[in-house]
Amino acid sequence: MSDQGSTTVMVVDDHPMWRDGVSRDLEASGFTVVATADSVAAAGQRAKATQPAVVLMDMQLPDGNGADATAAVLEAAPQANVLVLSASSERDDVLDAVKAGACGYLVKSASAAELIDAVNATAAGQAVFTPGLAGLVLGEYRRMSNQPPAPDGPQLPSLTPRETEVLRLVAKGLSAKQIARRLDLSHRTVENHVQATLRKLQLSNRIELTRYAIEQGLD
Amino acid sequence: MLPFWRGAQVFRFASVVYAVGAQVVSVNAETTKGSGVPAYSHPTISWALIALLIIWSGLAGLVYAFDLAPKRPMVIAEIFVTAGLIASTMWVVRPEYYHHHQSLPSTFWVTNVVVSIALLWGPIAGGVAGVSFSVFSLAVEDQLKNFVTDATTPILLTVGVTLGIGASIVSRAQRQFELAVRMQAATQERERLAREVHDGVLQVLALMRRRGAGGDGDTAELAALAGEQERALRSLLSQQSQAPGAGRATDLRSRLQADLPPEVAFSAPANAVELPETVVTELLAMVRTALDNTARHAGEEARSFVLLEDLGDEVVLTVRDDGVGIQDGRLAEAEAQGRMGVSKSIRGRIESIGGTVHLDTAPDLGTEWEVHVRR
Repeated sequence: MSDQGSTTVMVVDDHPMWRDGVSRDLEASGFTVVATADSVAAAGQRAKATQPAVVLMDMQLPDGNGADATAAVLEAAPQANVLVLSASSERDDVLDAVKAGACGYLVKSASAAELIDAVNATAAGQAVFTPGLAGLVLGEYRRMSNQPPAPDGPQLPSLTPRETEVLRLVAKGLSAKQIARRLDLSHRTVENHVQATLRKLQLSNRIELTRYAIEQGLD
Repeated sequence: MLPFWRGAQVFRFASVVYAVGAQVVSVNAETTKGSGVPAYSHPTISWALIALLIIWSGLAGLVYAFDLAPKRPMVIAEIFVTAGLIASTMWVVRPEYYHHHQSLPSTFWVTNVVVSIALLWGPIAGGVAGVSFSVFSLAVEDQLKNFVTDATTPILLTVGVTLGIGASIVSRAQRQFELAVRMQAATQERERLAREVHDGVLQVLALMRRRGAGGDGDTAELAALAGEQERALRSLLSQQSQAPGAGRATDLRSRLQADLPPEVAFSAPANAVELPETVVTELLAMVRTALDNTARHAGEEARSFVLLEDLGDEVVLTVRDDGVGIQDGRLAEAEAQGRMGVSKSIRGRIESIGGTVHLDTAPDLGTEWEVHVRR
């Protein structure tokens, strides 16, 4: 039995054809698909029952979006790593799902091999940073930096110049190895920079929510 | 428009109260104080006329305020009723009195018909109606010689013209608002359809293309067909999303998203990146040229990446491939020979919209076009 044989996966998607197709691809590569779900509610329940290592998450479900489902799954199975699969037109949702704790994003037009690689990386706890996700994250930091700073309370995090540089290269499609070579850094350092940008973004989500709550007098 | 009509009916109610008050005072008056001659020759009929005035006002007020019947016949009827009531003065009141008194049905009440005409037909009709009713009323009272000093004409003229102008501004604004609402609804519907198609049909086609790609003859052919249809559908959706007019700001992000073939990795912020339509058109053409060039020269294995960044005061668009790159000097050489499409086309396009281009390429390092456009 290979390493992958022990990796449990849940597939959340409301298109039966897609769900079955992806499940077959995953099983063929040695993953164990422990559950499938076609709604936010079902995703939460089955994640609780099966505690999958990886959750493949569609962005549009009949009873909510991928961000809702990601939050539901992570509440039911806190150790799960959520990988968002999206058609390309749902960028706002993808960003929300990443802020809600998803640790990777892949477009649905990705090849079967890319999908398998991404699930492997997600299972290993690495952020699956596609160029698309890097572009979203860059855009989000720039949006935040254009907001007027709050007079009191925690400041929204921003990127260091080096993190910006690394993210731009990811967004332009360079691999971690190529980036390491180009910037004369170690592979490990590049990975750390990339993961830091996601962690700070998830933090910023909490700060923004808190700030909003205080502004609205909900404290 | 309805609020205007409703406001006018409040005025109508007040004018009826005034007209009845005027009647109560004049019906028992004498032609001149102490003459012993009653001012009214037919007081009973004058009360019947006042009853008619009240009934008509109630009817017209309800119809106008609640849109119960078409307004045009009501206004035409109102013209005759008002003119008739003015003329009836000659019948029920003695000339000695009405020649120097305002009487039935009172100037104040006559204003109603001018208001209705102005609201229905605009400022010119309103002005003409104001002057006509004033002249008619003065003629009946045999007061035309006082036309210049009498206040009736300027007041009715002003009421007709100003209300008419107000009404036509409001109805124009309302038409534009309705048009805008309709356009917005149409756009939303278009977007909804695009989303549905994107989610359902496009995904199934993408799945067929993906799963069939490695198969044998028939399967591979089906996959290729699915791929073709996927592309056709995408370009159809992208044309649809171009809907509302040129010259306005266009979202470069959604245009690229719809325009780029699925095998190109596209990275962009989550929010719209708006630029003038002409700039967006040039940038899309530039991206297409660069991608074509990649397909022709970068080698079989080359993949393309497009990155869109919004820095606030400028927009940065990067088109990169990981192919074989352009050999040192080859681009300049080809340009010198005047047969180089890529560099000329791309630089020309970007310079025409006031942007700058930076080309970064080296053998085996791929090719990268970086375009900066200031806002």
